[in-house]
Amino acid sequence: MTILSKTITAFGGILLAHACYSAQEHSALHSLRVATAASLTSSSTVANSLPIDVVIETIVATFIILLGLVLGTRPLRPIQWRVWAGKIEREGEDGFKDNNGEVNKDYMGNPFNFIESRPNFVDIRKQRKEFAEWVRTGGGGQSTR
Amino acid sequence: MAPSLIRSPVQLPPAEALAISQQAPAILQSAPSAVSSSILSKEKSELWIEYENLILSCLRTGDERAAHQCLDRLVTRFGEDNERVLALRGLIKEAEAQNNGELEKVLKEYEEILSKNDSNIPIMKRRIALLRSMGRVSDAASALVQLLDFSPTDLEAWSELSDLYFSQGLYPQAIYAMEEVLVLAPNAWNVHARLGELQYMAATASGAGNGAYQKQMAEALKRFSRSIELCDDYLRGYYGLKLVTKRILKDSAKPTKQTDDGDFSLPDTRTIERLNELATAKLAEIIRHSSANDRGWRGYNAAEVAAARELLSEDASSDIKR
Repeated sequence: MTILSKTITAFGGILLAHACYSAQEHSALHSLRVATAASLTSSSTVANSLPIDVVIETIVATFIILLGLVLGTRPLRPIQWRVWAGKIEREGEDGFKDNNGEVNKDYMGNPFNFIESRPNFVDIRKQRKEFAEWVRTGGGGQSTR
Repeated sequence: MAPSLIRSPVQLPPAEALAISQQAPAILQSAPSAVSSSILSKEKSELWIEYENLILSCLRTGDERAAHQCLDRLVTRFGEDNERVLALRGLIKEAEAQNNGELEKVLKEYEEILSKNDSNIPIMKRRIALLRSMGRVSDAASALVQLLDFSPTDLEAWSELSDLYFSQGLYPQAIYAMEEVLVLAPNAWNVHARLGELQYMAATASGAGNGAYQKQMAEALKRFSRSIELCDDYLRGYYGLKLVTKRILKDSAKPTKQTDDGDFSLPDTRTIERLNELATAKLAEIIRHSSANDRGWRGYNAAEVAAARELLSEDASSDIKR
C-alpha cells in the first residue's frame, strides 16, 4: 500500500514538474515571439494563453498526487463512539499504530479504566505481597519469554 | 515488548510489572536528571507521568532504589511540598514499612499534613487506602464519605467507595456509589458493565426477596445491554448478558409473580431468548477469532476469553443433558 501510494505520488510529481517546465518554456518562447512580432508590426494583441495540453497535464498531475496521498494515509479513526470503543477492546494497541508500527502517543486504552483501577487508592502492600507470591510460585520463569 | 509507561500500571499482571521495573535503570539513565523549568527547555509532561508509574511498578517489584531515584527527580522539579510528591513519598514509606508500628507512623504523618492543609486530596486518598489496607474499613469508609462531601465529582473516590461497600457485602450501597460514577461518566462502558455485575451479584446473593430479585435482574440486564450499546464486541458486556439471560430463562421455567413495578419489569421471554442467542453468537465469534489470533482481535485478555469459553461449554453441556 505504501509503495503503491509513493509511486503514484512520485509519478504525479514528475508530471507536475513537466507541466511547469512546459509552461515556463512556452511563456519564454511566446514572449520572444511577441517581442519580435511587436518590433515588426507594432501590434501586441496576441493572447498570452497556455496551450490546452499543458493545462490538462497540470490538472491531471494534481489529481494523481492527491490520489497518491490519499492512498498513503492511515485508515481514518472511527467517529462513532461504539465503533471506537469496540476497536479499543477488540484490537488493543494493534489498532492504533501508525505507518512505522509505533503506537500512537495519545492512545491510552480505555480512557475510563482508571475508574476501576483507581491508581490513587492503590494498596501497595497488597500488591507487593501478591508479586512476591507470584515470584515464589515460579512466575519468574515466565518473564524471560 | 513492555507496555507503555504512560498508562497506569496498577492493573497489569506481575510479569509486565516486572518488565517495566526492569526498564527502570535504562529510563533513569536516558532521561536527564534535572530539567530546568524555563519555557525554553524541552520538557515533556509525559516524563513526569512516566516517573510516577515507574515508582508504582518498582515498589511492586521491590526495587526501592529506583523508586527513590524517581522520587528525587520529581522533588527537584516540583519541590517537596507538592501534593502529589507528598503522596508518592508516603506511598514509598508505606511500601517500606515492616510492621504495624511503622504504618501507624505513616498514618500519623498523613494526618499531620492534613491538619495543615485539609484539602490535600492525594494525601487524603493515600490515608484512606492505608486505613483500608490496615483493615480499618469503617474508618476508611467514613473518611471517604468526608472526601466525597467536599469533592463530589471525584469518579475514582466514588468507585473506591463502591468497592469498599462491595467488599463488606453491602450491595445496595455499592450500587448507589457506582450509579453516582455513572452520573458523572455516562459513556463509560466498563462502568455500565461493572454496575451490571454488582446488580447481578446483589440479585443472586441469598436473602434477596422475589420482587427485589426481579428488579435487580432486570436492571443488570439493562446495564449489560447498555455497555454493549456503547462498545461493539465488548467481551465483558456480552459475558454478563449471557450470564443474566441464562439465569432469567432458567428461573422463568418456574412460575414467578410479576411485580407491578412498571419501570423495572423484565422484558418478555422472547426478547430475553433473543438476547441470549445474540450473546452466545458474539461470544463464540470473539473466542474463535481471538484463539486463532486473528489480526484485529488481539486486544482481549486471555483469561477473559478462557472464562467466556468455559461459560459457553457449560451452556452446551447443559443443552445436551436437556
